[in-house]
Amino acid sequence: MNRKYRFNLKQALFIGLVAAVGFSGCKKYLDINQNPNNPASVEPSLLLPTTQAALSQVVGNSFQVFGNFWAQYWTQSPLASQYKSMDQYSSVGTDFNSPWLNIYSVALVNADLIINNTASSDNLKGIAYIMKAYGYQLATDAFGDVPLSQALQPTKYINPKYDTQQVVYDSIFVYINKALPLLNSTSSASPGSQDMIFQGDMAQWVAFANTLELRAYLRLSIKDPTTAQAGIVALYKTNPTFLTEDATITYTATGGNENPFYNESVALGETQNVVASSTVVDAFTKNNDPRLGKFFATVSSTAPSDSLQSIPQGGFLIDAYKKVAAPSPLVGATATDPTSATAPVKLISAAESYFLQAEAVARGWGTGDVTALYEAGITASFTATGAGDPTTYINTAPDGLPALTAAVTVDDKVKAIITQKYYAMCGFQGFEAWTEWRRTGYPTFFITSKASIIAAGQMPLRMLYPNSELVSNSNYPGTIPIYTPVWWGLQLP
Amino acid sequence: MKKLLLVSLCFLMLSITQVFAQDRTVSGTVTGKDDGQPIPGVTVKVKGSNIGTQTNSAGKFTLSVPPDAILVFSFISYATTEQRVPVSGVVNVGLSTEARGLSEVVVTSEGINREKRTLGYSAPTVSNAELTEGGNPSALTSLTGRIAGANITSTSNTPGGSTRIVLRGGSSITGDNQALLVVDGVPIDNSSIIGGASSLTAVDFGNRGNDIDPNDIASITVLKGPAAAALYGSRASNGALMITTKSGAKNGKKLEITLNSTNTLSSVLKLPTFQNEYGQGYMSGSATSPGYVSGINDASDNFSWGGPFNGKEEPWGQDIDGVTQTKPYSALPNNIKDFFKTGFAADNNLGIASGDEKNSFYLAINSLNSSGVFPSNDNYNKYGVRFNGKATLANNFTASVNFNYNKIQANTPSGGQGANGIWNNLMQTPRDIPINTMGNISNKYDGYNSLTNTYGFYGAFTVNPYYILQNFTNLDDVNRVTGDVNLAYKPFSWLNIVERVGVDTYSDRRKLIAPKYNFEPADESGSGLWGPINNNGSYEVDQINVSEVVHDLMVTATHKFGDDFNTSLLLGNNIRERSVSSNYTSTNTSGGLVVPGWYNLENSNGPVDVITDDIDIRRLVGFYADLNLSYKDYLFLEGTVRNDRSSTLPLDNYSYYYPSVSGSFVFSELLKNNSSFDFLSYGKLRSSFAQVGSDTDPYQLTTTYAKTTVNGSFGNTTFPFGNVPAYQIGSTLGNSTLQPEKTSSFEIGTELAFLQSRLSFDFSYYVNDSKNQILSIPIPNSTGYSFSVVNAGEIQNKGIELTVSGTPIKTTDVTWNLFGTFTKNNSDVLSLPNGVSQVVIGGFGGMAIVAAKGMPYGEFYAVTNQTDAQGRTIINQATGQPMPTTEAKYLGSYDPKFQTSLGTDLKYKNFTLSVLFDVKHGGVLYSDTKSLVDFVGTGIETGGPRFGQPFPNSVYQNSSGQSVPNTKIPYSVYTYYTSVIPTGMDVIDASYIKMRSASISYTLTRDQLKSLPFGALTIGVFGNNLFLWTPKSNAYVDPEVNSSGAGNEQGLDFAANPSVRNYGINLKVSF
Repeated sequence: MNRKYRFNLKQALFIGLVAAVGFSGCKKYLDINQNPNNPASVEPSLLLPTTQAALSQVVGNSFQVFGNFWAQYWTQSPLASQYKSMDQYSSVGTDFNSPWLNIYSVALVNADLIINNTASSDNLKGIAYIMKAYGYQLATDAFGDVPLSQALQPTKYINPKYDTQQVVYDSIFVYINKALPLLNSTSSASPGSQDMIFQGDMAQWVAFANTLELRAYLRLSIKDPTTAQAGIVALYKTNPTFLTEDATITYTATGGNENPFYNESVALGETQNVVASSTVVDAFTKNNDPRLGKFFATVSSTAPSDSLQSIPQGGFLIDAYKKVAAPSPLVGATATDPTSATAPVKLISAAESYFLQAEAVARGWGTGDVTALYEAGITASFTATGAGDPTTYINTAPDGLPALTAAVTVDDKVKAIITQKYYAMCGFQGFEAWTEWRRTGYPTFFITSKASIIAAGQMPLRMLYPNSELVSNSNYPGTIPIYTPVWWGLQLP
Repeated sequence: MKKLLLVSLCFLMLSITQVFAQDRTVSGTVTGKDDGQPIPGVTVKVKGSNIGTQTNSAGKFTLSVPPDAILVFSFISYATTEQRVPVSGVVNVGLSTEARGLSEVVVTSEGINREKRTLGYSAPTVSNAELTEGGNPSALTSLTGRIAGANITSTSNTPGGSTRIVLRGGSSITGDNQALLVVDGVPIDNSSIIGGASSLTAVDFGNRGNDIDPNDIASITVLKGPAAAALYGSRASNGALMITTKSGAKNGKKLEITLNSTNTLSSVLKLPTFQNEYGQGYMSGSATSPGYVSGINDASDNFSWGGPFNGKEEPWGQDIDGVTQTKPYSALPNNIKDFFKTGFAADNNLGIASGDEKNSFYLAINSLNSSGVFPSNDNYNKYGVRFNGKATLANNFTASVNFNYNKIQANTPSGGQGANGIWNNLMQTPRDIPINTMGNISNKYDGYNSLTNTYGFYGAFTVNPYYILQNFTNLDDVNRVTGDVNLAYKPFSWLNIVERVGVDTYSDRRKLIAPKYNFEPADESGSGLWGPINNNGSYEVDQINVSEVVHDLMVTATHKFGDDFNTSLLLGNNIRERSVSSNYTSTNTSGGLVVPGWYNLENSNGPVDVITDDIDIRRLVGFYADLNLSYKDYLFLEGTVRNDRSSTLPLDNYSYYYPSVSGSFVFSELLKNNSSFDFLSYGKLRSSFAQVGSDTDPYQLTTTYAKTTVNGSFGNTTFPFGNVPAYQIGSTLGNSTLQPEKTSSFEIGTELAFLQSRLSFDFSYYVNDSKNQILSIPIPNSTGYSFSVVNAGEIQNKGIELTVSGTPIKTTDVTWNLFGTFTKNNSDVLSLPNGVSQVVIGGFGGMAIVAAKGMPYGEFYAVTNQTDAQGRTIINQATGQPMPTTEAKYLGSYDPKFQTSLGTDLKYKNFTLSVLFDVKHGGVLYSDTKSLVDFVGTGIETGGPRFGQPFPNSVYQNSSGQSVPNTKIPYSVYTYYTSVIPTGMDVIDASYIKMRSASISYTLTRDQLKSLPFGALTIGVFGNNLFLWTPKSNAYVDPEVNSSGAGNEQGLDFAANPSVRNYGINLKVSF
């Protein structure tokens, strides 16, 4: 027996009402997707230390090791193996993922966010532009052609194209010239302590900008002397100030605030991976240079009697000797010595500033006294290393003043200046020293690494594009071998 | 959608007033035809309805049924039998056994019982007996080899170790690919959160799906494709394991108490094969002339690149208090093997089941106490309580509660390359060093003295692994409650309303401890071979809280049209909320501890590092409908539709629908009266098509800022820097226009049984396709970012699955069953966004595991040796050494080309013998263990002649670029393995054959039990993961070990802890 279905209107209405209330609440119930873990916006001045620390991480760690190996200051310790591929010249794209990421995705993108933020003060923007110029120079000097015109605009260009190195250099000068009036703006609020390099001292930033511009134009001196000369002559017409102090970040012993290379050594279990290369040790010894003992720690007295202070570049396998001098804590490279933590990272050094000026004068593009600037460079280096009075060294070392005095041609003068700059940069500025060697071929006493596994006579003249670009950028320009020079570089050796 | 719910609610309202016919009560006993023994747990259902019960421990049942009802009796491994209810109301049935897999009742979506024959998709079921046969405390691992289409990988096979289970290849490029775990209708969390900073320094704390005690499980039904789980929504797009826990028998005359006690021993399954020709030392010299430096001249070395063994008594190690120890310079073949001890585990489960006509309960307590194969500080303890209760209330209400509490306390040794990596340090032991005798850390030659801050251990490059075990600890403490409350209302025989609220909540607290030390060598020899050994120490506390609440309201109506058509319609509403909070804090990562030996965040040298402090909350509201149609006993059709609204998607785009349809045709029903088809006992064709929509993780829609950390390759710069704070833009570009992703699947299959079901087959072919995936794709860093959240990418899995089972012998005394599975799955990453050729899912700097366009999922990508077209290695003519490729190459996927298994059960009188083998063929893994033993010169590859030989099967290229076989140019084996060999050469064949489980048990008969106070007694010996066979190229590790737990990063032996074989004795007794 079936009974008729009966519809209870009251109950239906009640339930309908409950359902309706439930549904209007549904959207509200689901509207919980605001990220509680991270802020949606921050003050632009908070981004400046990010940019500065990222560039310092690249110069002071990844490029520090590559540079010091390829400038033949340091080589792989036979007792460890972390960096042997650098001596083997067998680096691959993945080795460069990290510095590339730090340049673009940490330093440059945050610099751009400062520049594009209307709340940023003039001085803050000015510093950001200088950091941007510095970052792009770092990138192009390492990798050659790099993304610039389409970089850092992900909503427009998800696959940024690569601009030629020449175009990148043009932009570097544009950024510096945009920065100068902003740096000189007196109505602007100073970034103060948020500026990790000069603590808001804008006069120092102007000097930094001028020195960077000089460095950048000199980089083109051989490939494009016309541009270099015009740029430098124009620069000198502005009565520029140049750096007389190191532009550095001062690291401390606090965990996470240490010198980046030392911090990496700690993370690697305080293994002493890098040791002295005979290339630079022999050169220092030949000149009886007191800085040798400052850049390198001596081997402990308990070492086997057959130990050496140094091994040939890449000699970690063929050399049976196991104890080799380590770079000193002064350059942040003694893994077991906590005082390495406070070693500075020099974005531009005072010595470098003098040698750049000396070269500009030697080439006849800048004004001043070559000898005085050359001696000032050596003196600045002795001061920075605590190597005492440089007078004897300057006057008697074969690569000291005698080399400059004996130089007749511009090129010989440049050779003396760059060689002397090479000594000053040991351990502190490996990347810049290797880069200047790639530009000038000086110093002339480099050897091919004993551990090289690439064809005889080939040496690293560029860094490889990172694997991260290879696998994600449709405009990846193809892998360029490590022994191919960048646009401004010489085919060496 | 509003309409749907309204309709369902109105439907509900209408039905309340309906009146139904009078029910009657039937009762009876179900026995086995073979032995006349009562069978407990048999499902008794009224045909064409959801009315049903189970037999109690005495095989008896009572049920209230409509008039003219036909009862259907079904039970795993018995033929389903139908019986009309006679006037007497007593139904006694004898069931005959049949080959596995047919006519079972299986648990499908939302915990609904369905007869297997009605399903349009593959849904194999594994019983408690099969799960517990091998004595493995992991229910997931115990499924290995029993389910075609499942790829199960058990990292260490230890209690608490990770198990990954992927059905049909998985559907997601970056998301979770594991099957959803559902216990009694409620999904449970199966997170795999490894301890340590990354898989390179991993501590395997297991995956939470392994928390459940297999003894509490009645059965697991595997729903493989999304079709099977369309009603679970997004999370079941990778299939689901429907776990049904035991319930109390109704109508039990007495309390049934079951004690299941297992004692297990374990030992390391596979160690690398070592060379035994050369001892401690290193080499100078060239490819043709050896320059051995060994013995006391290199007493601190981890290298076995010294001279050939000569058996001479020689000094070794440090010179302490004027004495240097001596030992023969000869190989110690078992020095590594004897480092490990025999592990032991005691697993006890006490279950109490009872019930009366209206109520039933199952109460179980269990404990698992184990110590592993490492000599100390390697233990895992788990305690659990389960209560499942059900009560039939007045007015057609039924209520049930399932409750489970687990407590886990473990101390797990770390794998990986960190200072705490035991395997990493152990594997660097030279062949002549008696490491296995150096466990006494207070011995001045073996240990470390924290009073004098000196050490006497021989090695300068490694730390005594005994010291590591004793001083580095990784403690885990988990408290977990899972359960659900059900209230069912059945106003009419044709209508059932179920409300269920389930919860899964746990706290996982971890403490990772590394000691601070600064040891100088005690050595007085003046050799300078030893240097200081330092560690700044650290203390990390990780607190993870996961809480998930699920609500389901399900209304099911059934109706019969005429005699032949049955319909049922289910309407449901599902609401869930999941919240995860992760709080990881440690002492300053770089500065470490101030005071040695004190493990507290207050002891941080430098600012405390907040590694993670995140709360993620997501919610989902779903509505679903499931319509079932059946015609007679042979045509079945099911259609489902679901709408989900997810909090993780943009609000204007947060709602999405997806359908499924499946059908089954039991053609043997039409042939059963045709004598020429007598050989066919059962035949079914099935097919299904389904879509599943998926949401994403919370907070993917916007780009945010974060406190700055600038990472180098290893170290980093952190903020605040002194007093300077800093922030940076996040590395992932959010996307406010995300769309839900869709997985679609097609399946066709057949189930066939022949010769009175003595031989049966189950075959499926499937295609799963996931499109428009929500991916965090890598974008060029030159954009200023690293990842972008997009809808892109397509991954396809195609495959076949075959299960065969047969009973070659069946007599009164002997039953011999054989069964096997075959699985072949081809995955293919069909597309990625423009410019992106691969998405990295794991690996490290020099070796990535990726999803690469046009490749199978999980492809290895690394630089390897150059080879010519014939596969010969190209060498550098000057050095004789192989040349590396200039770019990374794709080297194969971790997924096997095919899997197969073979098992057998042999019953002879009281004895049962069971053995199960499983095979994975093809697939590769990266073995850092290989890299390590090759580097230190202990691996088998480094044995034999080390000088003057050309690289095996090598060529050099002449000036015109042609390959010339190299028979003369020698290479230095030392140089090759210590500095030339590229990472890709450590990617090796992961194929294996395993004896997965074996057992022999003896069950007392009823006669034997008469004089004993037991209801049942079974005693047996068992083993699992017993034997392993690998190809010659893998002389290193069990290919199942993995440094990344159960995540997508598989095939990564980054000095992973070894897997173990287990064997023991089991006693099962009931009172």
